[in-house]
Amino acid sequence: MRARSGIATVVLIGALPIALIVGVWHVLAATGMAPPSLLPAPSAVAARLVQQWSSPAYLEHAASTLLRLFAGFGIAVIAGIAIGVAVTASRWVGATVTPLVRVLAPVPKIALYPAFILTLGFGDASKIALVVADAVFPILLATAQGTAAVEPKLAWSAQAAGASRWRCLLTVVLPAALPSVLTGCRIGLVISCIVVFLAEMITSTDGLGHLLVRAARSFQTVDMFVPLITISLLGLLLNAGFNAVRRRLLAGFPETTE
Amino acid sequence: MIAIEAVSKTFETEKRRRLPALCDISLAVAAGEFVSILGPSGCGKSTLLYIVGGFVAPSAGAVTVNGQRVTGPSPDRGPVFQEFALFPWKTVLGNVMYGLQRQGVARQQALARARELIAMVHLAGYENLYPKELSGGMKQRVAIARTLAYRPSILLMDEPFGALDAHTRTRLQNDLLDIWERDRKTVLFVTHSVEEAVFLSDRVVTMTRAPGRLKQIIAIDLPRPRSRAALLLDRRFQDYVVGIERLMDSADSGAPA
Ligand SMILES: Nc1ncnc2c1ncn2[C@@H]1O[C@H](COP(=O)(O)OP(=O)(O)OP(=O)(O)O)[C@@H](O)[C@H]1O
Ligand SMILES: [Mg+2]
Repeated sequence: MRARSGIATVVLIGALPIALIVGVWHVLAATGMAPPSLLPAPSAVAARLVQQWSSPAYLEHAASTLLRLFAGFGIAVIAGIAIGVAVTASRWVGATVTPLVRVLAPVPKIALYPAFILTLGFGDASKIALVVADAVFPILLATAQGTAAVEPKLAWSAQAAGASRWRCLLTVVLPAALPSVLTGCRIGLVISCIVVFLAEMITSTDGLGHLLVRAARSFQTVDMFVPLITISLLGLLLNAGFNAVRRRLLAGFPETTE
Repeated sequence: MIAIEAVSKTFETEKRRRLPALCDISLAVAAGEFVSILGPSGCGKSTLLYIVGGFVAPSAGAVTVNGQRVTGPSPDRGPVFQEFALFPWKTVLGNVMYGLQRQGVARQQALARARELIAMVHLAGYENLYPKELSGGMKQRVAIARTLAYRPSILLMDEPFGALDAHTRTRLQNDLLDIWERDRKTVLFVTHSVEEAVFLSDRVVTMTRAPGRLKQIIAIDLPRPRSRAALLLDRRFQDYVVGIERLMDSADSGAPA
């Protein structure tokens, strides 16, 4: 376990490149190397950010984005884990699902978006569907691989103790595969953040992605940066929350480097 | 009673090569008997135990327990694996509780029994630690407690004391004998230590190098309850150990399969 001061150092080192980027950005804007109409000063963006975050209208947009993000990610987690476990548990499911996954996983899901819009409409459902379609694969693959790699003696120990096949799957195989499953979920979470933004940029009347496109159309560069920074901070926050949950769930597992 | 009848096992490896591991093993173990299996590394001792446990199917032959053919695991046959196989996400208490919960024991009773077992394997006070926080010997003791929890009448133990220091090993051997004298479980016990096999067993089964066949079965005619100190000075004990060690040497020097 790392000492507290060690964690502070790590955070500091991690913040360095970000500070560097902001610094370069500041210099570019301040010296006029980049015209303000294209690249606003970081201070201007920061001021706007603070202003927007206290504006109910802006927060409503952020809430729509978060709602789609959570709904899509949540469905992807449930479906990905369920299908992933089933692939390992049943030869039949494995034989039917595996080729399907191989074909679908590399398809750029954004290509399905028009079809989602046609079937599900312009509202939340089509955006959530796109998030699910993109986030489900890493979770499914990580779950299938993780559960297949579980030491058989763990399952045997459970079966000898009287656990049925199902019991064994849920109380031993899935928990044993949790490190792998959670790695898949983390990738799924990052993808969800990207995809929800993308979907909102393509067609939407609300959400952070929509705000960015709207600002871009009217050349309001400051307003373009605000949703961008908001989603990246949200991603950072979600990742931190995810890590906290992960540490709790994996308390007994040997520590892994991240 | 366990009856192993003409059991053979051939593994199919990834590249479709056939790997014979066990060859025509027949062995009957009486109820309440303590039988040890000795043999060179890789001769199929673990595999034989897995087949009796119902975890692995034999390629030929069959195992019956009390006249019933083994087709899968059952709480009547409790394994203790060479690699412990503890649940890493459960604490010591959680691991020992697992079998009790599967047996439908009420929570309060299960807790009491689990604590009792943990105390029996000298781990009281360690209930809330995770396996990764335990030493090898402690993990092994948790694994034994976890299996004893659901009261199997047959114990299938795969080198349970192999990773332990001499002192802990002796202590656990005595504990195991105590349990066995009290509950008269049937024990199938794999070990690499001739001394351990002779000390514990009613009969010692020796196997040839891979693919494993039965080499010789030696009945250990020593009085019980046994005390290690007394046995070490006992000429008959020494004779058994030396005799079996010779036998093992001749097994090792046999032509490679
Ligand atoms: N799942 C498997 N697939 C293929 N071959 C296997 C498998 N399990 C065991 N074997 C082979 O079967 C043989 C016997 O293995 P086993 O683990 O039973 O030996 P062992 O007597 O327990 O050895 P040790 O004393 O080292 O534990 C070995 O040659 C091994 O390579
Ligand atoms: Mg072995």
